[in-house]
Amino acid sequence: MNWFVDTFRTSLGKKFLMAVTGLGFIGFIIVHMMGNMTLFVGHEAFNAYVEKLHGYEALILVAEIGLLSLAVIHVTTGLLLFLGNRSARNVSYTVKKSGGGRNIGSATMPYTGFVILLFVILHLSNFSFVDTTDRTMYDVITATFSSWIYIIVYVVSVAAVAIHVRHGFWSLFQSLGLNHEKYMPALRMISIALAVIVGVGFGLIPIYIGIIT
Amino acid sequence: MLPDSKVPAGPLAEKWDRHRFALKLVNPANRKKYDIIVVGTGLAGASAAASLGELGYNVKNLCVQDSPRRAHSIAAQGGINAAKNYSNDGDSTWRLFYDTIKGGDFRAREANVYRLAQLSENIIDQCVAQGVPFARDYGGLLDNRSFGGAQVARTFYARGQTGQQLLIGAYSALMRQVSTGRVKMYPRREMLDLILVNGKARGIVARNLITGEIESYSGHAVVLATGGYGNAYFLSTNAMSSNVTAAFRAYRKGALFANPCFTQIHPTCIPVHGIHQSKLTLMSESLRNDGRVWVPKTPGDKRRPGDIPEAERDYYLERKYPSFGNLVPRDVASRNAKEQCDQGKGVGETGLAVYLDFAEAIKRDGKDVIEAKYGNLFEMYEKITGENPYETPMMIYPAVHYTMGGLWVDYNLMTNIDGLFAIGEANFSDHGANRLGASALMQGLADGYFVLPYTMGGYLASNTIENVDTSHKAFEASKNAVTEQVNKLLSIGGKQTVSHLHRRLGKILWDYCGIARDEDELKKALTLIRDLKEEFYNDVNVPGSGDDFNQNLENAGRVADFMELGELMVTDALHRKESCGCHLNTAFLTEDNEPLRDDENFAMVAAWEYAGEGKEPTLHKEPLTFENVELTQRSYK
Amino acid sequence: MTTKTINLTLKVWRQNRSRPKGGFENYTAKDISTDMSFLEMLDVVNEDLVLSGKEPIAFDHDCREGICGMCGAVVDGEAHGPLKETTLCQLHMRHFKSGDTIVIEPWRARAFPIVKDLVVDRSAFDEIIASGGYISSKTGGAQDANNILVGKEIADKAFNAAACIGCGACVAACPNASAMLFVGAKVSHLGLLPQGRPEAKTRVHNMVRTMDRLGFGNCSNETECEVQCPKSISIREIARMNREFVKASFS
Repeated sequence: MNWFVDTFRTSLGKKFLMAVTGLGFIGFIIVHMMGNMTLFVGHEAFNAYVEKLHGYEALILVAEIGLLSLAVIHVTTGLLLFLGNRSARNVSYTVKKSGGGRNIGSATMPYTGFVILLFVILHLSNFSFVDTTDRTMYDVITATFSSWIYIIVYVVSVAAVAIHVRHGFWSLFQSLGLNHEKYMPALRMISIALAVIVGVGFGLIPIYIGIIT
Repeated sequence: MLPDSKVPAGPLAEKWDRHRFALKLVNPANRKKYDIIVVGTGLAGASAAASLGELGYNVKNLCVQDSPRRAHSIAAQGGINAAKNYSNDGDSTWRLFYDTIKGGDFRAREANVYRLAQLSENIIDQCVAQGVPFARDYGGLLDNRSFGGAQVARTFYARGQTGQQLLIGAYSALMRQVSTGRVKMYPRREMLDLILVNGKARGIVARNLITGEIESYSGHAVVLATGGYGNAYFLSTNAMSSNVTAAFRAYRKGALFANPCFTQIHPTCIPVHGIHQSKLTLMSESLRNDGRVWVPKTPGDKRRPGDIPEAERDYYLERKYPSFGNLVPRDVASRNAKEQCDQGKGVGETGLAVYLDFAEAIKRDGKDVIEAKYGNLFEMYEKITGENPYETPMMIYPAVHYTMGGLWVDYNLMTNIDGLFAIGEANFSDHGANRLGASALMQGLADGYFVLPYTMGGYLASNTIENVDTSHKAFEASKNAVTEQVNKLLSIGGKQTVSHLHRRLGKILWDYCGIARDEDELKKALTLIRDLKEEFYNDVNVPGSGDDFNQNLENAGRVADFMELGELMVTDALHRKESCGCHLNTAFLTEDNEPLRDDENFAMVAAWEYAGEGKEPTLHKEPLTFENVELTQRSYK
Repeated sequence: MTTKTINLTLKVWRQNRSRPKGGFENYTAKDISTDMSFLEMLDVVNEDLVLSGKEPIAFDHDCREGICGMCGAVVDGEAHGPLKETTLCQLHMRHFKSGDTIVIEPWRARAFPIVKDLVVDRSAFDEIIASGGYISSKTGGAQDANNILVGKEIADKAFNAAACIGCGACVAACPNASAMLFVGAKVSHLGLLPQGRPEAKTRVHNMVRTMDRLGFGNCSNETECEVQCPKSISIREIARMNREFVKASFS
């Protein structure tokens, strides 16, 4: 296993870890979002979906362990990269200016990442580690989003996810070595589209639940 | 003393093979016992250091830049010649040899030039194996173009950056040897003295440009690959750090300096813009394939080029040389541009420029075709001048570009000092009185890859070289002398900056020892340079200290040497009472105003020996004999 | 060439033995011809400094035609200044306005320690090349050049990568001081050519590990390197290196 560990200790190896785990998260949030869309159909549909999902207990356990390991890898590797990058530029520039390569997504990756980490903890405590013996999941959601603060926190956090995805999606292909003038422009477009879809899709939920209904 | 060229006997085509066989070999197991100092990491230096390292010698390689990859070979644009005959247009070793010796106006050694033509083929093979991305055709074979007026397409190229790609090839070979430990790199070091022990070159003293420390390096042989001295003129196409110091300090220690007045002035450079110009930029001479050179017929015509009607333009090259037109060799084109400007017909703000006009080519072939051929050059021109050459004609003027003169070497590339070798532009080379386009890269690599590795072995194997290390008293004495000179320069504290004095020297050399030379003017130049030298030592201001990174101090040492070299160049020009190649003596012209050679008296190499401070150098003549070519008058009418 | 002159204020980073932490100094550059290059403007400032008994600004430069890779400074926050695809020596003063204040800083990276003022030590790049940036072909052992066929498309791609001048602008421009573009360019140049394939695996292994060891940052695909590279080397070269590295690691 020596070569294996050694590979992932290099700068490129760490980037592969970020890319692969990131890809996993993107897959997860797409599925998660599709499930959540049932909220817009109505509380019966949503509760039925939750019911159905909780029927696959073993599968959920596997998925949760999987996601947790992805998170551990993504966060620790991200932290190592962040610290490494800071030490590589030991004195910072007085004039900080982009030549035109950076965008809001790329420039904020570690920070949006940190926001997302906090959000995930909050999110899990809101909706995962809750007692639903005498109320439905839908009730929990409406109760949470009856608070303005939660609506704002959720919308802001979803925006962070969107910004993270905006850079993360095309970037993971680049990190895995998949960049060609034929398909990279499309990947870059999809990256933006995905960010919009994720942002709008998740972002509407607290607004819809808390304000519209 | 008659310098012995050591050219081997036998038919021209067999000399090199026979000689290689005659050279003694160093047993592979013994090679690691030899230390070889290579100064410079251009094409010649890097290729030599890499090849010697591969053979198993211990190589110490110094360069003045921060990395060996930056040597000025990197700036060569056009390409590299080789007699591969891949174009099937009748090229051959013999033809490349003949073109080179004729292009040099019959002032080079036949045997050296023939060897160069022979080795040209191996160079291309070697470079391709190293991964040099030469231009290819669609089938994957190497592409060639015709260059510098050659009638065959024998030039291999990598876009407009052939020098860069070849140097990166040599640099990577060098770095491979660095990683094996066979070569030790010493960047940011400047050689300031040559150490002789018992008449043999045994080391050098160099200044560490970061710490200022004066360091000693000992070895069994010293190789100078330190380039040319075009920067004596201040304005040239050479890099800012190109200098003569290493070669000149060797000259002061007894190495002969050959043909110092042979400097090539390239016709297509971007003109000088003002008094603060620091260097000149070359535009590839391929531009002359489609551009037409002209000036207004009336002196002092200051109208914009577009306002000057066809009838009032003088396409002087086409008029004077109907068969070659704009494609005459470099020296002819340069001379004529100066002549037009001297008559007051020069254009631009300074009046020191001529037009190179693409209007007709664009009309004929379309802008797309011209852009495909010269796009990057046009861009570069626009970047520097702020003018669009697709719309207004380019302005060009000749600029110092290459020096054919240099340290005198024999057939083994060894100077008259045992164990001191000079390769590449630093030696007086194979180019005679004028170098053909795409030949400098060829010579640098031939010397470094394929000549020196053999002749070095021959020298080491056939001489007993006693052990000498840096504790030898010669090193101490030299270090003291060098330190003394450094301190002297720092202590003057005058009112003129180093570059100001350098600029003044350059102007003298350009005006009096440039494109055309006149005996009275040369004599005047000699006095002017001597006066300037005195002024330099009384009034130069070198700030800072000697034990620190001090770029002004580096320059001061170089300019001091350029002053003395300037004198030597003028002395050599005065002595050569003929016109040949780049050396145009106005007293020696044919009826058509073309250079007139004197083969009876000047078919020779003028090798100068240092005679001491303030003394006239001693001239040694190496006669040039031509057994295989007929000496003809060059004519491009 | 329509010459006019401008006046500028320079804020230049000065650092030397007596001032090891470094700091900015202000200078005025008067009557600067717009035809001058940026380095010629610095020459003028330096001449004035020398004549007024002060120490001139140290900056690296050599060919002054944009090919040797010796020059470079961060001008107003951008490596080699505001003009794209241009080294500092080829940046001309006509791109500045009279009255401008220009901030000039050295390349900043832990792997490029400052030697003096604007001069940095880039020997880390040489070390990376020595660790594998070559094809092991002994002098004299080469076959005929035309025995190796390289299609034009591949040759052109290899050339695009080989155009790197090793100036270090990519490291300077990268928010993480990463050298991926430099290493990617060399891995691509040699890896694209058939001559370079035999050593492809060890090359990418060794070069990447040397790069890491020397303290460069990691790539976070900000693409600032590509934008500020004076030779427009594409981040596709980095992707190619990543690909080579995966291949080399899992085979």
